[in-house]
Amino acid sequence: MAEGLSLKNITKRFGNFTALNHVSFDIKPGEFVTLLGPSGCGKTTLLRIIAGFLEPDEGEVWFGDQKMNDVPPHKRNTAMCFQSYALFPHKTVYENIRFGLRMRKVPASQHRALVEEAMAMVNLTGLENRKPYELSGGQQQRVALARSVVVRPNILLFDEPLSNLDAKLREKVRVEIRDLQRKLGITAIYVTHDQSEALAISDTIISMNQGAIIQKSDPRTIYDRPVSKFIADFIGTANLVPCTVTRQQGSLFQVQSPYGMLLAEDKDFPHDSGEYYLCIRPEDVRPVLDGEPAGEDNILEGVVKNSIYMGNTLDLFARVQTEPLRASVWKDYHIEEGTRIRFAVPRSKIRILEG
Amino acid sequence: MKTARKKRKFEWGYLLLLPGLGYILFFLAGATGMMIAQSFGLFNYTAESRFSLEYWRGILNETFVDDLLYSLKIAVCASLLCICIAYPLALIIKKLPGERTILSLVKIPMFIPALVASLLILNIIDYHGILNIILVRLQIIEEPLRLRNDSWGVAALLIQAWKNIPFMLIIMYSAVEAVRRDVIDAARNLGAGRLAVFTQIIVPLTLPSALVSVILVFIRVFNDYVISKTAGPLYPNTISNLMHVTAYLYNDWPSAACIGCLMVITAVSFVSAYTYLSKKLMQNL
Repeated sequence: MAEGLSLKNITKRFGNFTALNHVSFDIKPGEFVTLLGPSGCGKTTLLRIIAGFLEPDEGEVWFGDQKMNDVPPHKRNTAMCFQSYALFPHKTVYENIRFGLRMRKVPASQHRALVEEAMAMVNLTGLENRKPYELSGGQQQRVALARSVVVRPNILLFDEPLSNLDAKLREKVRVEIRDLQRKLGITAIYVTHDQSEALAISDTIISMNQGAIIQKSDPRTIYDRPVSKFIADFIGTANLVPCTVTRQQGSLFQVQSPYGMLLAEDKDFPHDSGEYYLCIRPEDVRPVLDGEPAGEDNILEGVVKNSIYMGNTLDLFARVQTEPLRASVWKDYHIEEGTRIRFAVPRSKIRILEG
Repeated sequence: MKTARKKRKFEWGYLLLLPGLGYILFFLAGATGMMIAQSFGLFNYTAESRFSLEYWRGILNETFVDDLLYSLKIAVCASLLCICIAYPLALIIKKLPGERTILSLVKIPMFIPALVASLLILNIIDYHGILNIILVRLQIIEEPLRLRNDSWGVAALLIQAWKNIPFMLIIMYSAVEAVRRDVIDAARNLGAGRLAVFTQIIVPLTLPSALVSVILVFIRVFNDYVISKTAGPLYPNTISNLMHVTAYLYNDWPSAACIGCLMVITAVSFVSAYTYLSKKLMQNL
């Protein structure tokens, strides 16, 4: 059965280096949670603590209402998919998948049916007798996935499972992982440094940096309403510039920035005035052609330095006053390099962030 | 013109094989051919050279059979003893702090010549050696034990082990080290305890190296001359010793050549049978 998970004040040090600094969070049963952060942020360490490979220096790990600190890895009902797949090289696909059933003393009479069911789930039927080295990367990852789900773990753990696959396959397998997790209703914790993967796959994203949690929220919130400059910069792309903020009324702020004087509507920003950063996502910037009304939107006037056709969008690298501004606009615009142009940015799309 | 040049280049190219192929042909095939010819009485240094089967008829006597059995016995025992020590040792060293230092210290016997090693150990186990002196002083035994040149070959076995364990340890250590950490973690994660990780993962993944290292040590000990000469029994002794005595003491080179042929045949058939069996074993695992 799916189980919730609680981490309380987890701290882990390696020598003088603090890998995790008082990390706490709760995960609901059946939730798909991603630990997202740059390399060295402590996300894999955290996953290894949950699996039991590492012991925390301080803090408690709870699965449901059971404290797991002193439970060895082979007695925690977790199953992990490794970045390197970690298949047993000397065993066939069938034996790899069956291994967990044997170790968990599942009656031998059920093995064949369970393994075949798991293989069917990940489209591996027919490859039972192959050895891991005879499989492609994607197939190996599927074996690892089948090997994990066949034991019906309470918690599924993923350590950057897709980073060795090519981009197309990555997108395909991540949808499969998500479908499988939903179908089985297993709680899943997924470690990645790939922000688009995290956005695509998660119920909740826990964004980490330097051993601490920076923000825990659903993908839409973390992208649209990042709480810090670090997250805005790490997840997606953002125009981030220093600014001076003064609250006008309610949630309306006057922002003095290198782009000029702007008006921003930010319901989350708690302070009344001070030195902060403003964040504008490139896709929230819209070109205003001559004669078009801009309405209440902020207008930024600049020169296009580079115009790059990406296929699905047109990426513009412009200079507004002295500051670079990146805009990702509709692909059918024809905007030449060197064009003087006005950009519109809605007030509600400007976010004020602490540094 | 063009094709002619191409053709000549092609022919000259074969000469590039000479350093390797020439070496093999001259020293290996040549020497083996000489040995076979000598065993039939040709190229005889000590008597008239003529084709004859008498040397082969005379060779399969009691001494030869005893020496062959002794060589096989000591080689099998030494290689088994070595693997019984080197395999666990490799696993233990992997877990110890300072494994690199330990490993380089353990390698020292590899750089000591067999003769020196033999004499070193004999100093310990000799009739007037350290071990006997201590045992007599402590009044555990009354008379010193005869440990060298004993009829079973314990002394030779000990020295073989001392000399060959480091060699085996290097092979086994790299095998143990090659078992990836994440594969072990995956097994633990799927419910394998310490024993299951050992029997299900570590043993099957290191067994091929163990099998190879056993046969390498087997060949080394089977062909040994020096250690058995100094520390082994007076009779029987290794086949190499018999060959040496036959050639230099009895001046009977053709018979020595027969012994050499049989030595090679025994070794090759032993290795082939062993390889076949280990392949079967690995398949059934």
